[in-house]
Amino acid sequence: MSDDLVISDLAAGYGHQSVLHDLTLRAQAGRLTAIIGPNGHGKTTLLRAISGLIAVRTGEIRLGADRISGLPAEAVVARGIVHVPQGDLLFPDMTVLENLRMGAFLPAAARQEKTVLEEVYTLLPKLRDRENQIARTLSGGERRMVGIGRGLMASGRVLMLDEPSLGLAPIVIEQIYEVIAGLRRAGRSILLVEENAMRAAAIADQVHLLDHGTLNWSGTGAELSGRPELLETYLGV
Amino acid sequence: MDVFFQILASGLTLGAVYAISTVGLALVFGAMNMLNMSHGALMALGGYMAWFTMTGLGLPPVAGMLVAVLVCAGVGVLIYLLIAGPMLRSEGFETRVFIATIGFGAMLESVILMAFGPQPKPQPLAVQGGLSVAQVHLPVQNLLILALAMVLMAALALLLQKSRIGRAIRATAQNRDAARLMGVRVGMVYALVLAISGGLAAVSGITVSSLSSLLPNMGGDPMLKAFIICVVAGLGRVPGSVVAALFIGLFEAVVQYTVGVRFSFASLLLLVIVVLIWKPQGVFGRHQGVRL
Ligand SMILES: Nc1ncnc2c1ncn2[C@@H]1O[C@H](COP(=O)(O)OP(=O)(O)O)[C@@H](O)[C@H]1O
Ligand SMILES: [Mg+2]
Repeated sequence: MSDDLVISDLAAGYGHQSVLHDLTLRAQAGRLTAIIGPNGHGKTTLLRAISGLIAVRTGEIRLGADRISGLPAEAVVARGIVHVPQGDLLFPDMTVLENLRMGAFLPAAARQEKTVLEEVYTLLPKLRDRENQIARTLSGGERRMVGIGRGLMASGRVLMLDEPSLGLAPIVIEQIYEVIAGLRRAGRSILLVEENAMRAAAIADQVHLLDHGTLNWSGTGAELSGRPELLETYLGV
Repeated sequence: MDVFFQILASGLTLGAVYAISTVGLALVFGAMNMLNMSHGALMALGGYMAWFTMTGLGLPPVAGMLVAVLVCAGVGVLIYLLIAGPMLRSEGFETRVFIATIGFGAMLESVILMAFGPQPKPQPLAVQGGLSVAQVHLPVQNLLILALAMVLMAALALLLQKSRIGRAIRATAQNRDAARLMGVRVGMVYALVLAISGGLAAVSGITVSSLSSLLPNMGGDPMLKAFIICVVAGLGRVPGSVVAALFIGLFEAVVQYTVGVRFSFASLLLLVIVVLIWKPQGVFGRHQGVRL
């Protein structure tokens, strides 16, 4: 309850272009909430608005008692919202370990850096072997793991994952989703953005369909699977 | 043999002077994609501040150096607050900031001209005398410049590689959005980078004027060479620009001795053309983007 992420009547966009409007959403603490929707309808924009990379125009975002909207990105992460961006956005000339350590840049996270790093290595053992490799030279799947690992290093209250399966081979997607399932079982609050509706439905507690910048349908993963017409109309499945 | 060491010594000194003026420029470009065209004016300001503190106020050399570095670092922050910061989010930042800093540099130079006049002044922050080691004559001033450059480069490398703020600078240079998501306050990083660059410009201006003299437009030539070195190294490559600076200093010393001083700038430009044909990204450069 106290750590729910609550978005009310949100509007956001770029320059003259308005992307999100009238968007209201509650992502419950300890649950996995998925946002699905066709390409270009504002899923990434939503996460960027939450994490403060772009400005919120109207409406409000709260995490528990904290008002998040209006804060710059560096202040949002300090409140515990961690954004693992689409396309990873690693620091290409740093090693895997340096990338992970950047995740714990803020003092509160830095104090627990050693313990959390061990946890991340247990969850993503491949990263330990690649510790000293320069991020630029990693494969797509390895990059994704570094991106997720770096997000975990922040020890946040909410983890936002933007298209963690994008551009990966099926086996690697499988591995990444096993990691996400593990995080869900561990009781982490996760906001997952995914274009692949079936993937999201299979893992999420709650699914929201984002269509033309606003939420169009909400339900559980099982409910979504029982609505083939939704999938067909919006997702071309 | 003596000639060889003489050329080596003067080449390294030249390279050291270039290195100090170049890293500041490279750091700013690497961190924020900004060509600071007022770097030369900052060098002049640093030189004059040392002169003012020592000759004008009669304070010791340490104070001269300190005042120069602090004033130029302050002006660096001012450049962030007045010019770079407000433009950062605008489209075409690179072009705008390039033009705006040309204007700022011209203004700064005019202020120096009004305050100190057009006549050349001697740089008081200089050491006389020389050392003779096995028939090679080395002015103490040159040795000091070399030592100073080495200390400054080592300090900068330590700062960038080992400190928390250095990690923030590198992260911001490599991916600004990602750095913000990690909690890095990129505005502070940019202000700091411009302050460091300003401080380095001050030291650079002092060394340059100690080898010739103080003039309001004294920064023009060194800045041009610093840009050439940046381009040769690959824009924004900080360690690479130090190597390139030393190499170009040596190259210039060899050319000056063998073919004559008047050919040194022309051959430098020829070298740049060759390098850019061979490696358009610069010797240490990479295809995509800018990296520290
Ligand atoms: N940086 C940007 N500047 C301007 N428009 C953008 C930018 N990023 C995304 N958009 C536009 O915003 C809309 C939503 O994009 P996005 O949030 O990335 O969608 P999704 O993540 O659902 O694929 C698209 O029309 C896209 O063209
Ligand atoms: Mg997206």
